[in-house]
Amino acid sequence: MITFKDIHIQFGELSVIPGLNLQIREGEFFTFLGPSGCGKTTILRSLVGFINPSGGQILLNDRDITNVPIEKRGISMVFQSYALFPTLNVYENIAFGLRVQKIPSARLDEEVRDIARKVDLSEEQLFKKVSELSGGQQQRVAIARALVLKPSILALDEPLSNLDAKLRVQLRNELKSLQKKFGITTIYVTHDQEEALTLSDRIAVFHKGVAEQVGTPQEIYNHSATEFVCNFIGSSNRLDPALAGGPLKPWADPGKNVYIRHEKVSLHPFSSEETAVVLKGRIVEQEFYGIYTKYTIDTGGYGMLKSVEIVNSLNSRSAGDEVEVYLNVQDILQYD
Amino acid sequence: MTKIRSALSSIPVAAWLMYAFLGWFIVAFLIYPNLNVYYEIFWGGGSFSLDAVHKLISSERAMKSLYNSFILALSLVVTVNLVGIFLVLVTEYFEIKGAKILRLGYFTTLVYSGVVLVSGYKFIYGDSGFITRVLSHLFPAFNVNWFHGYGAVLFVMTFACTSNHVIFLTNAIRKLDFQTVEAAKNMGASTFYILRRVVLPVLKPTIFALTVLLFLTGLGATSAPLILGGSEFQTITPMILTFARSVTSKDLAALLALVLGVATLLLLTLMIRFEKNGNFMSVSKVKSALVKQKINNRIGNVLVHTAAYLLFVIYIIPVVLIILFSFTDARSISTAMLSPGEFTLDNYITVFSNMSAFKPYLVSICYAAVASLAVVVLTLMASRILHKFNNIWSRTLEYALLIPWMLPSTLIAIGLIVTFDTPKPILGNTVLLGTLWLLLIAYVIVHIPFTLRMVKASFFSIDGNLEDAAKNLGARSFYSFRRVLLPIILPSALAVLALNFNNILADYDLTVFLYHPLYQPLGIVIKNSTDAQALADTQALTLVYSVILMIMSAITLYGVYGRSSRSKTK
Repeated sequence: MITFKDIHIQFGELSVIPGLNLQIREGEFFTFLGPSGCGKTTILRSLVGFINPSGGQILLNDRDITNVPIEKRGISMVFQSYALFPTLNVYENIAFGLRVQKIPSARLDEEVRDIARKVDLSEEQLFKKVSELSGGQQQRVAIARALVLKPSILALDEPLSNLDAKLRVQLRNELKSLQKKFGITTIYVTHDQEEALTLSDRIAVFHKGVAEQVGTPQEIYNHSATEFVCNFIGSSNRLDPALAGGPLKPWADPGKNVYIRHEKVSLHPFSSEETAVVLKGRIVEQEFYGIYTKYTIDTGGYGMLKSVEIVNSLNSRSAGDEVEVYLNVQDILQYD
Repeated sequence: MTKIRSALSSIPVAAWLMYAFLGWFIVAFLIYPNLNVYYEIFWGGGSFSLDAVHKLISSERAMKSLYNSFILALSLVVTVNLVGIFLVLVTEYFEIKGAKILRLGYFTTLVYSGVVLVSGYKFIYGDSGFITRVLSHLFPAFNVNWFHGYGAVLFVMTFACTSNHVIFLTNAIRKLDFQTVEAAKNMGASTFYILRRVVLPVLKPTIFALTVLLFLTGLGATSAPLILGGSEFQTITPMILTFARSVTSKDLAALLALVLGVATLLLLTLMIRFEKNGNFMSVSKVKSALVKQKINNRIGNVLVHTAAYLLFVIYIIPVVLIILFSFTDARSISTAMLSPGEFTLDNYITVFSNMSAFKPYLVSICYAAVASLAVVVLTLMASRILHKFNNIWSRTLEYALLIPWMLPSTLIAIGLIVTFDTPKPILGNTVLLGTLWLLLIAYVIVHIPFTLRMVKASFFSIDGNLEDAAKNLGARSFYSFRRVLLPIILPSALAVLALNFNNILADYDLTVFLYHPLYQPLGIVIKNSTDAQALADTQALTLVYSVILMIMSAITLYGVYGRSSRSKTK
């Protein structure tokens, strides 16, 4: 188990992490999620040992590793750029750490080939230059290089951010299955909420160096603890005070900032168990996204609302149509 | 305090030794000799005196040399810019028939420069040169002693100095966003209007920088005025050389070198300021490559073609004749007559089989190899520090290593001479003057700035995560450097090493001040062969030296620039 105990990180006068308390369980796929500059990579680098915290402790299974040198922490890192050594071939990249440890050549060879097999790198690929590999293969080399040292923790710093959208989805799945295969505690840094939601067992959402919420993807999405988390994860409508204080009054506090996610606003009635408030409106804009369509609806005195509908030829609507709008009031989110 | 102590103790002993060595080298060879020049000039007699200044002002020869240098520098700015810009436009911008061949001809000054080029031109255009003979045959009244003085120096230096235009201006014009030219055309602008209003303004910062460098080259010219200037046109550097050789005029040599140094400093400062403020950045999101422009005006087209080919002939003739005459005997060389029956390989056989003929080559190769290797090792050490640390000490280190960039090599040579002609504690009371070491050290010093800039640039272009990754995999600092960083920067380091080797091999300007009389490097031997009393046999060997130097330069330049540009094209 990893424990961040009152971790402070300061760069000169600037306090980047003002005091972090966080626990990561063994074998967990844990994600640090947040916008650029929120401090998520800084925390990861302090865990790996590249940054010394100005205060606090980092505990690994109750052992204080705050001042332990990088190479003795047993944490392997996969970098955003993969940081594969361009002058070494795939085999030598994977063997690098083992050579540093002066592992006998027979055992080294066995371990390199073994990990290469596990991450699906072929014999032929082992002796290629890293520049001759595709983005996905490079990622596998970077992971193999990290895993061959049998670390207790794998730290991944936005490893998918340099790839195109399709490859990103493919590698995301591979990453998840590799983590399951090795059962290793994995800490993943990303600014991509979709990656975080699909990959993680638990997520910490960071804002200005503070973990605003720690929880499962479902908790984070459905019960966003803060207004920042609500806005950062998914897409929401901020409701007009007239609506919150009017038809939604039994469920909403008009003195608070009230939100409802786009998919909780529908042009069709919800199932009978769900409580809905119905408003009249007119579609002013329609954006087609392939499997779903996003509508912008003018509800007159209650402002604009956005709704997301799965595309279906029977229910398609157009700009200018007069519609009934259903709000699932059980999913209203409210913040001070 | 504890943190600082633990940080200091974490630095390995080898690193401390490296810092100590760099510190000593900088103080002993970059700072101390250059400061000592001032001391020797103003406090040479034990107390402060302006005697050297009075001596300089009252010396007619010295003042005349200052005036000549200034005139030469100004003239060069005009002639080289005219020729250089024309060459680049002809090879890169206008659609000229046979542009690729022309370019090859214009590039010839890249493979032979300095004393090799000047002696080559003298060999062709001098009183017994091939071209002079041809001209005197055509025009019997032609004065065979025409090629000397201001005109000859300016002529040779104009063609010698266009290399920078060919390299830098070509790069600049290739960066031009062609869509701006298309936009101007679309608005009805003519070819020459676009050239004047769109293309040349974009090249202005590069032209300005080249102009400053040209002016400095003109001020510090050594071999051309020495070989071709004659008694009527002597410039500062040959005068410094004359004064430095006289025991009573060393202060005058130092003062003249200082004048040159101050001028260099002022002009380089001006250039840096201009570079900072005057660069044009393309605002295009998608740049398109330059498409060569047709000259629609027929007369203009003929004129440009004629001038382009005339220049091609001027560039190519010395190279062709040097190569041809290197295969002839002493009689053909002295009479400047080429006849197919006289061609022989004897000169080449002599150079490679006779030790005394090969000795200058060997001396230069040894100096070039050791100095270029030393400067790369030194700058690798420094770059490693600059890459790892960003603090006041690393910045001081960088500025200190760039000192030679701001000083003409003449001043550096004089500084070393006046400083290490007596025992100095900083060198363990060793006297360097008169030893082989002084020239070696000077070669290293002069090449530090260029090498540092190149090596540092390749260090800084490395993905910072690579070293972190190596560290994360358990590698110590030196292991990461050896296994990860060094292999990446090695190609650039070797390229710089090759360029430095090439430059040192035929250097004259610095060598002439510091060489050991028993171990004369090539530059000195080549210069001596241009003297009136030189034997035709010596001239024959010099032609062989020149040809071999050209081949080596061509190979080096192809290895460094040619291959990389080919791979970029791929």
